[in-house]
Amino acid sequence: MNFYKKWFWPLVIPSLLLFTMVILYPFIMGVVNSFLAWRGTYYFDPDTGTRATSMFKSFVGFANYKEAFQDTRFISALVYTVKYTFIAVIFVNVAALALALMVTKITKSSGIYRTIFFLPNMLGGLALGFIWQFIFQIIFTDILFSPEALYLPFLRYMTQDSTKALFALAMLNTWQYAGYMMIIYVAGLNNISADYYEAASIDGASYWYSFRKITIPMLMPSFTIVFFMTLANSFKLLDQNVALTDGEFGTRLLAMQILRTVKDTAPPNYGKAQAQAVIFFILVAGITLTQVAITKRKEVEM
Amino acid sequence: MKKSLIVVLVLLMAFSASVFAQGAGEADKGYDIYVYNSKGENAAQFAAMCAAYEAETGIRVKNFSIGSGQDHMETLRSEMNSRQMPSIFSIQSLKELPEWKQGGFVLDLNTVTSGDFAKMVAAIPQGLRLSSDGKTSYGIPYNVEGYGFIVDRDMLSELFGPSKVDAVLLDIKAATYEEWETLVKTIDAWITSPKATSVKLNGKSYTLASSKGKLSKNLNGVFAVMGAEKWTYGDHFINVALNAVLTSETEAQQADDAKVKSLKGALLAYAKALDLKTSYLAGLKGRAVRGQDFVSSSNFGYDQAVQIFADSKAVFFKQGNWAFGNIAGVNPAQAERLEFVPVKMPFQSQDIKRTDGTTVAKLNSSIPVFVPNYYAVNAMVPKAEQQKAFDFLYWMNNSDTGKKYIVEEFAFIPYNADPETTTVPNSLGNSIIDYMASGNTLSAPYNGAPASWSGDVVGLRIMESYLTKRNWTASDYEAIANYAIDQWLAMK
Repeated sequence: MNFYKKWFWPLVIPSLLLFTMVILYPFIMGVVNSFLAWRGTYYFDPDTGTRATSMFKSFVGFANYKEAFQDTRFISALVYTVKYTFIAVIFVNVAALALALMVTKITKSSGIYRTIFFLPNMLGGLALGFIWQFIFQIIFTDILFSPEALYLPFLRYMTQDSTKALFALAMLNTWQYAGYMMIIYVAGLNNISADYYEAASIDGASYWYSFRKITIPMLMPSFTIVFFMTLANSFKLLDQNVALTDGEFGTRLLAMQILRTVKDTAPPNYGKAQAQAVIFFILVAGITLTQVAITKRKEVEM
Repeated sequence: MKKSLIVVLVLLMAFSASVFAQGAGEADKGYDIYVYNSKGENAAQFAAMCAAYEAETGIRVKNFSIGSGQDHMETLRSEMNSRQMPSIFSIQSLKELPEWKQGGFVLDLNTVTSGDFAKMVAAIPQGLRLSSDGKTSYGIPYNVEGYGFIVDRDMLSELFGPSKVDAVLLDIKAATYEEWETLVKTIDAWITSPKATSVKLNGKSYTLASSKGKLSKNLNGVFAVMGAEKWTYGDHFINVALNAVLTSETEAQQADDAKVKSLKGALLAYAKALDLKTSYLAGLKGRAVRGQDFVSSSNFGYDQAVQIFADSKAVFFKQGNWAFGNIAGVNPAQAERLEFVPVKMPFQSQDIKRTDGTTVAKLNSSIPVFVPNYYAVNAMVPKAEQQKAFDFLYWMNNSDTGKKYIVEEFAFIPYNADPETTTVPNSLGNSIIDYMASGNTLSAPYNGAPASWSGDVVGLRIMESYLTKRNWTASDYEAIANYAIDQWLAMK
């Protein structure tokens, strides 16, 4: 214990320095820039209509925020992201929990299944997006669900309709994250003592009853983490969105909207993009913190 | 808690200080000029050219080319934010100019008044200058590019007979839109049941072969089209229509509401021509129709359309000379036989609003030839470095070594090429030079339209709402034209 007390600062400073450099400093600059007419390579002076002589001359107050909220693309991306998050959180959690229950139940070669389910997580988002683009456009549309085979119109042309694309993205995302979240659920499930189930079965509880009354309450700490991660990940989804639909057919999510703002405007309005990013941060932080607070309250000690 | 906060703040300040203090002393940068090249395709050849310059003159050149397909603006912006800014950077069109002008990065080359470089700047043809008002000039063109319907001479030979190839090519170039439409429909019918039908082109009669040949037996449609690539019908196809009203990028940028509204007739013609082009589609696995498959990138993306054309499944393929490499990659023999024919649209004489005497016939027998990229000189670097940048650009475009690199190594068509004497090592480039020689060229006013208007707004709407639809009606043409005009006015 004494060692850590004595060496506290030397041990902490390297990571603190890194954190400051790559997270804190850019974050603070980002917030500052959201109040300025920043154009990426220079500050714009709205009074003179030219390059500002100093950063302070470029101060525009809340104008960037106002502009962001007046931008129909930003609002529709926001609504679309909320819808997507709702669907994705349900999809990922149901799949992850089902997989976790499965691999903890089976006794033989559960390690292999765990690895297989986890594997998609090792792929990058862009690669995944392109793989699934092929799956949706060729395998789903032309092969599996074409009129000559199992004809399911909803599963065809999923990247060409904003509602269908929500489910397409959620499917892709489930494939990617379910394995990862499964690992967390597996850890949670393994922590539940078999004694409870034994006692419950002696009392004559059915599987579903003990699932509801033992598994779910005991798994609450895992729910807190998994909900937090899926919520935040779904809100921040970018690569998959770019690769799968590129925002076409009204499928722009918030992260992509921020990225493309500088392309939609000339000269590039980085200030407005930054304001959207700050709104985005507040939103994600607010929602996830609320969620953590709620699920934490439901956690039980036994 | 308080203590740690103080530590964080101190660190933060130290970090910022270290960032801003850099470069306070003017040390040797390790180069004399820094050239930023935003064309990743010729990165190796560009570096070789810079080395050759260094060997000839002793001037140390640092060069940087972006990766192929990389976003050049993001990369350039971060280079501009660094202490060692490029002395020569690139501006891809008038759309990108406001940013560098407002930021004070770009030097008006017309302010250079003496020396060979000034003469070179003054000699850039008016239509090829990067200028927002006609008086300024912000860049030296990389090269010129052009596009139209690419056609394989051997395919024409099979369709019309070997002795007729040159004549038929000339007459397709000169044909009216009505003749072109008939040609498309006749070839389409011929593909399903070949028989010796005759068609009129430029008033002359040509007869199709009575049976299919080695190449034409592969045909399953008239056009190879990239339904998933918005820029092909958004930026490039629509640009032909804009030429009916606007003569240059500058004019497009300065267009007032009345002028934008006067595009109506031309845009209706655009919609009709696009309808024709997308009604006779070739596909990878047989004849294709407009519909949801047509906009999926796995079936009608860039590579797929190149494949369709290179496999001789289509007669015409609307693309530019940059596609030469892609076609040669699939079918090198075919790539040697390519020519451009103009994109034609059903313009009426009252749709032509430009006042330079251009007629419908002239528009329909010309192809757009434009500058895709400019070398700009950085106004922020020291005067001496700017002078060295001028010398480099002059050498590149006028010395024998520089010209050799541009023509032979980059396979560019030099903007200052004399069409009578220049040939480039690829068929499509030479076809463009032919159009330059005859003066049958159009400009690129779409680059003067509001940012993202042509591709990401109009192109996107056409992709989402029209290319997915089997049949178009007159009200669809109307809706396309109105949407394009309304959006331009709203985005201005």
